Amino acid sequence: MADDTGDEQSDDQAGDEAREALAAELSELLGDAVVESHVEAGQNLWLRIDIEQWHAAMAALRDAGFAYFGFLSAIDWTDAPEGRYEDTEFDAAGVGEDDDASSATAEETVRRGGGETRFQLLAQLHSPARHAAVLIKADVPPADGAPASVPSIIDVFAGADWHEREAHEMFGLVFDGHPNLEHIYLPTEFEGHPLRKDFPLLARAVKPWPGVVDIEEIPPELEAQLEAEVMAEFEASGAGA
Amino acid sequence: MALVDKVKLPKPLSWLLNFGRARSLWVYQWGLACCAIEMGAAFGSPRYDVMRLGVIPFPASPRQADLVVISGTVTDKMAPVIRRLYEQMPEPKYVISMGSCANCGGPYWDSYSVTKGVDQVIPVDVYVPGCPPRPEALLEGIVLLQERIQREDMQERWRGEPIVVPTSAASSTRVPAAPGASGTAPTSAPATGTASAVPAGSAQA
Amino acid sequence: MSPPPTASALREQQAYVAAQAADARVNVELDTGDMTLNIGPQHPATHGTLRIACQLDGEQVISAEPLMGYMHRGYEKLCEVRTYPQCTTLINRIDWLGSFANEVPFILAAEQLMGVEAPPRAQWIRTILFELSRIANVSLFLGDMGVQVGALTPVFFAFRDRERVLNQIEEVTGGRFHPNFDRIGGLKDDIPRGWIAETHAVMAKMRGFCDEMEDLLMGNEIFQTRCRSVGVIPGDVALSYGLSGANLRASGVDWDLRRDANPGLAWDQVDWRVWTHPDGDSFARYWVRLQETREATKIVDQLLDGIPSGPIMAKVPRIIKVPAGEAYVSTENPLGEMGYYVVSKGGLGPFRVKIRTPSFSNISVVPWVMRGTYVPDIITILGSLYFILGDIDR
Repeated sequence: MADDTGDEQSDDQAGDEAREALAAELSELLGDAVVESHVEAGQNLWLRIDIEQWHAAMAALRDAGFAYFGFLSAIDWTDAPEGRYEDTEFDAAGVGEDDDASSATAEETVRRGGGETRFQLLAQLHSPARHAAVLIKADVPPADGAPASVPSIIDVFAGADWHEREAHEMFGLVFDGHPNLEHIYLPTEFEGHPLRKDFPLLARAVKPWPGVVDIEEIPPELEAQLEAEVMAEFEASGAGA
Repeated sequence: MALVDKVKLPKPLSWLLNFGRARSLWVYQWGLACCAIEMGAAFGSPRYDVMRLGVIPFPASPRQADLVVISGTVTDKMAPVIRRLYEQMPEPKYVISMGSCANCGGPYWDSYSVTKGVDQVIPVDVYVPGCPPRPEALLEGIVLLQERIQREDMQERWRGEPIVVPTSAASSTRVPAAPGASGTAPTSAPATGTASAVPAGSAQA
Repeated sequence: MSPPPTASALREQQAYVAAQAADARVNVELDTGDMTLNIGPQHPATHGTLRIACQLDGEQVISAEPLMGYMHRGYEKLCEVRTYPQCTTLINRIDWLGSFANEVPFILAAEQLMGVEAPPRAQWIRTILFELSRIANVSLFLGDMGVQVGALTPVFFAFRDRERVLNQIEEVTGGRFHPNFDRIGGLKDDIPRGWIAETHAVMAKMRGFCDEMEDLLMGNEIFQTRCRSVGVIPGDVALSYGLSGANLRASGVDWDLRRDANPGLAWDQVDWRVWTHPDGDSFARYWVRLQETREATKIVDQLLDGIPSGPIMAKVPRIIKVPAGEAYVSTENPLGEMGYYVVSKGGLGPFRVKIRTPSFSNISVVPWVMRGTYVPDIITILGSLYFILGDIDR
């Protein structure tokens, strides 16, 4: 299987060069709309776009052959106040001191393509002709305590309609020019934006995660009693023999 | 019907009527999620052949059904619809809750949009555990329900449940059918091999 | 086999347009007002709990708006509070007919972030199980499409033959439906003894099933009349709505992630082809899926003969911690492109998971394609787009 890994590595290298070339080409195409680009070896290409030019950039990408609309969503980069509800021994065992340090320093390196706002738009486009894909991000700046509104791209990609409704429901982002920005999944009376990190999971808050232990621990006094019973049985059988 | 309602039937006759009722259950298939496919396999596949038990899985409307199988995740958005269609079913009516999601929320026990058990909305006669239960497990649930129907007091059952108009915020309209009278445990416990995915079991080593 | 001629499809399309124009004239004369037809949320034809609110003018659909969320279970939020191994249990249940295929892109994304690569044997067995779940998934469609247009028999055949594939999946993974068999760095177990020969036999049976469907359903005149030139989606519309999988290929777009963006599974090791159809109607979608099922059996056959030896797990720590970073991996699932965008901040579980599900995008074309069709065609189009509710609502 040494050949296989060799091939894959060469594929990665080739993919790298192709992605670097694509990044350069798209940066040239989009001009100053591209804030930053990032290529991860053999994985993906990220472009971070100025939010003011979001609409124009998407239209330009579509005209450049990236006509297949993958998805549109967002990321909330704040840390949840409750964390991951890590309250069991298993979770505690997994979180060491070194992790805390690394996660603190990781904040700058974790974001592919950079950015510093709380909310980031995330979209993916494919080019079926070139067999290439590009992930596109845009910082959503805050405005009056809420995320600023974002230009809608449903006139560029018709399929973005539902994706924008979903992002609106889940993150509370407002898309300018969207004709029907209503609830898509949740009942109309639902309040809050579930995928925001400050949206708590009430069931978790009420009831701790049972963790990985799926059998109940036997209380010590009951264990002593059980052991005594077993021993008595054993002695009785031994006395019988 | 009026006769059943007023007169205490002789035992052989009520046995016969119960026997007939238990073996001609018209079941309304309420497929919600993954379990719906296993329910479809149990009802539609020649391998499991539910009709040999006298269960007829054809009614296209709850108004013609004796039994409804709630199979799958019940969400808060779906719950009112379930309630509404259940109320359209004629008495006497029975409910099988199929799968962990319908029983208690299952793997989605902490979700913001999932109802933690269909029994918060409608009364349930038989719970079939599993995620999803195998078709055999559903068949066993049906057999348990048939045993229960067989032992029912016709007079009591035929009167149906009193319709209580809630005066306050309390929305519970139905007193739980006394399981003691039937003598059968309302929960089935099929010993088939599908891994149950109640939250505790969903972690892997 | 080459795609069927499109001249007849074109003719029927023209006849269809003429009939629509005639119908519109009748509607104007009779002054048929608007009527709202509500389909669902519980309807046998909607594969679950999709609700569609249609505005009708007589027998014609003016607008159709899918209303979703009756099965929204909040996967993306729940993944944020679970560890990586726990996530695979959950995401199994998104597309419940092809469960194993759901796990693969997520595991691949986590592996990409960790810099782990599963050994070749694990990759091959993954690919085999992936294709088996494709067969289990799509074979149900092949039968179910008959039900949508009024033929009950095929679905019984589908349930019967699908059981054989499920048996093979169960024999390896222990689960008929939700295997939860994929691990970061490999697989939980190796395949059991005698499984390869059995699977060969099952694949031969499934090819027989495809032939049977071809004879029974696809050659049927009523089926053809109900499906041909109904719900035509041109290629560029399909692309802009993000349609994927067989829906896209039935619109003539030659795009298959297994071939074009293989994330490291064994598809490039075997000889197979991507099927496309130029028509873009319901019949083309059925035709493409049938060919793909047959192709999948051939892929499985070839893979079974060439499984490399070696370990099935790479060296990974017992407690999985994924380094900080972002990764997006998508694969060609039975329903189309399924991708996971995993953001890690270096903990036990993902920081954010965006799940790109194929059905969500596939169904977003419904308002476009339903406009101007007739009421009976609603079900045909819905059936031929082939969605799974868990995959739409997540």
